[in-house]
Amino acid sequence: MNNNVKIKNIRNLIISLILILATFAILSFLDSNSDEMGYAISIIERSLIFAVVAVSMNLVNGFTGLFSLGQAGFMAIGAYVTAIFTIPIAKRPSVYYINGINELIANIEIPIPVALILGGLVAAGFAALIGIPVLRLKSDYLAIATLGFAEIIRAIIASPMMDKITNGSYGLKGIPAFNNIYEVFILSFICISLMVLLINSSYGRAFMAIRENEIAAESVGINLFKMKELSFVISSFFTGVGGGMLAMFMRSIDSKTFQLSLTYDILLIVILGGIGSVSGSILGAFIITAGKELLRFFDEPLTIGGVNIPLFKPGLRMVVFSILLMLIVLFWNKGLMGGHEITYDNIGKFFKNLQSKLRLKQASNNKQTIKER
Amino acid sequence: MKEVLKLTNLSIIFGGLVAIDDLNLTVNDNEIVALIGPNGAGKTTCFNLITGIYKPTTGNIALNRQTIVGKRPDEITKLGIARTFQNIRLFSELSVFDNVLIADHLRVNDNVFTATTRLNFKQEKFMREQAEQLLEEQGLIHLKDEKAKNLPYGLQRKLEIARALATKPSLLLLDEPAAGMNPQETMELTSLIDNIRHKYNLSILVIEHHMDLIMNISDRIYVLNFGKLLKTGTPTEIQNDKDVISAYLGE
Ligand SMILES: Nc1ncnc2c1ncn2[C@@H]1O[C@H](COP(=O)(O)OP(=O)(O)OP(=O)(O)O)[C@@H](O)[C@H]1O
Ligand SMILES: [Mg+2]
Repeated sequence: MNNNVKIKNIRNLIISLILILATFAILSFLDSNSDEMGYAISIIERSLIFAVVAVSMNLVNGFTGLFSLGQAGFMAIGAYVTAIFTIPIAKRPSVYYINGINELIANIEIPIPVALILGGLVAAGFAALIGIPVLRLKSDYLAIATLGFAEIIRAIIASPMMDKITNGSYGLKGIPAFNNIYEVFILSFICISLMVLLINSSYGRAFMAIRENEIAAESVGINLFKMKELSFVISSFFTGVGGGMLAMFMRSIDSKTFQLSLTYDILLIVILGGIGSVSGSILGAFIITAGKELLRFFDEPLTIGGVNIPLFKPGLRMVVFSILLMLIVLFWNKGLMGGHEITYDNIGKFFKNLQSKLRLKQASNNKQTIKER
Repeated sequence: MKEVLKLTNLSIIFGGLVAIDDLNLTVNDNEIVALIGPNGAGKTTCFNLITGIYKPTTGNIALNRQTIVGKRPDEITKLGIARTFQNIRLFSELSVFDNVLIADHLRVNDNVFTATTRLNFKQEKFMREQAEQLLEEQGLIHLKDEKAKNLPYGLQRKLEIARALATKPSLLLLDEPAAGMNPQETMELTSLIDNIRHKYNLSILVIEHHMDLIMNISDRIYVLNFGKLLKTGTPTEIQNDKDVISAYLGE
């Protein structure tokens, strides 16, 4: 190893340590002032959860080049599995008070981490079943199949048949909440780190090869179906875990929580952040989640000088969002990160570029003043 | 002499078109065999049959005396056939290094968990070393971190060959490797092909329109016309053949 690389590694280690310390300083500040900072905390928690789901959508859509639109469905599965098995047994009669609860699940309560993983596994199982017929087909049938699947899952959850399990259209309440922001942060961190490690492994490279050129990928010995299935199943696992986390964050869920618009939100995050960029998805999750809060006034009636502006009513926010999405796709189709990642090296380069640009500007300004003289 | 590849009575019909018609062809161990013929003769189709992209309508394809008909392209690559494409197919957005490294994935014997958790770091390290060595040998190491799509055309062709070599084939199929190259590059390519045959102990089946290249390096030549085998023989035999000349002049 040459000296330069060593210095760089040490530098990166130091920056990492500082970042970790800073993160925990912020988290502990938020946590110890959780009463005043409640709003900020909830935005950050929601952003973290959406970051997990967005990165897993990016894994399959951005890195493997498939087009899955089943996020809401897989999240619903993860959320319901987590909710069903973690609502405290004592609370259940009051949750299921209208239809009663199925005896098989009435007395099973499992630890939260196990429930989250189970939710992910069930979501992954469904993904495997969808993938087997659909991923063998050449074109983008996956989008249609997953879109349909998500709606079917929603219908099943809300159907009277499932009353004693999902509590039908009444939804589930009393889901145990996270104890603090640390839990959300650490869980999201683990999920995203695992996906980053996967993307940078030889499997991740195989996924990207498929995205780049299927025929070439096959020609270097990559089993297209197996790798697509793997990517889709792993992505759905983390989407399911994200759904479970969302259930814990919201504490009450029903089938309407998991409408198509949820998938649409995540797609927006992925596209805004940049298809094929993990850091872009994380950034996008924060921007969109916070932005949605800021744009909330679009949904509220607006009166200017006593005149009620008729446009401002529930739903306008989504219109504004859709327009934003179209604008990004039209003018900025690579997203914020354009397939790049935020790394220490890239940040360094960015500032160096900025510096040299500023210098150039200054130089040309100087020239101008000289000329003027 | 050991037969590496043997096509027997191979045919494929697209709709009404007989693209390959009862073709018999062999490639022996360490031999360079050329496949030539006018446009649309069925040369690329022949490669697509060998690599499992198309299934033959009738006939057999054997690699080292084992039939490979019905196998998937990735399985065939694992059995030892690698190829390049007439229209270059690189992983354009990925680096030169990754393009070659990906071709090592076929030898990965860890599962996705050991790979993700880096428990396979030894294998990963080994793959990286192999890829680096190959790039070194092919004179591409200085372009390691360049995106494949940013390479000039001639180097893209070279990278595609390097990527094929990374799968450690026993038979290499080259589809018009000199297409779009200038005379200088074509000369370099000619020696490269001859070079890798000895270095990696390969058999090579090459499609080309550049007659200089073909006459220089091939041991034997097969001439296709309208899917049928028109002639086969040594370069000198083919060069002076009336039928071949008239097929090329399009009589
Ligand atoms: N998938 C396909 N479906 C239908 N016809 C096809 C298909 N693939 C090839 N063909 C036809 O088969 C014939 C042979 O095509 P092929 O690409 O093998 O020619 P070639 O010898 O490689 O020509 P060139 O020198 O132009 O590359 C052509 O008439 C082509 O149109
Ligand atoms: Mg061709």
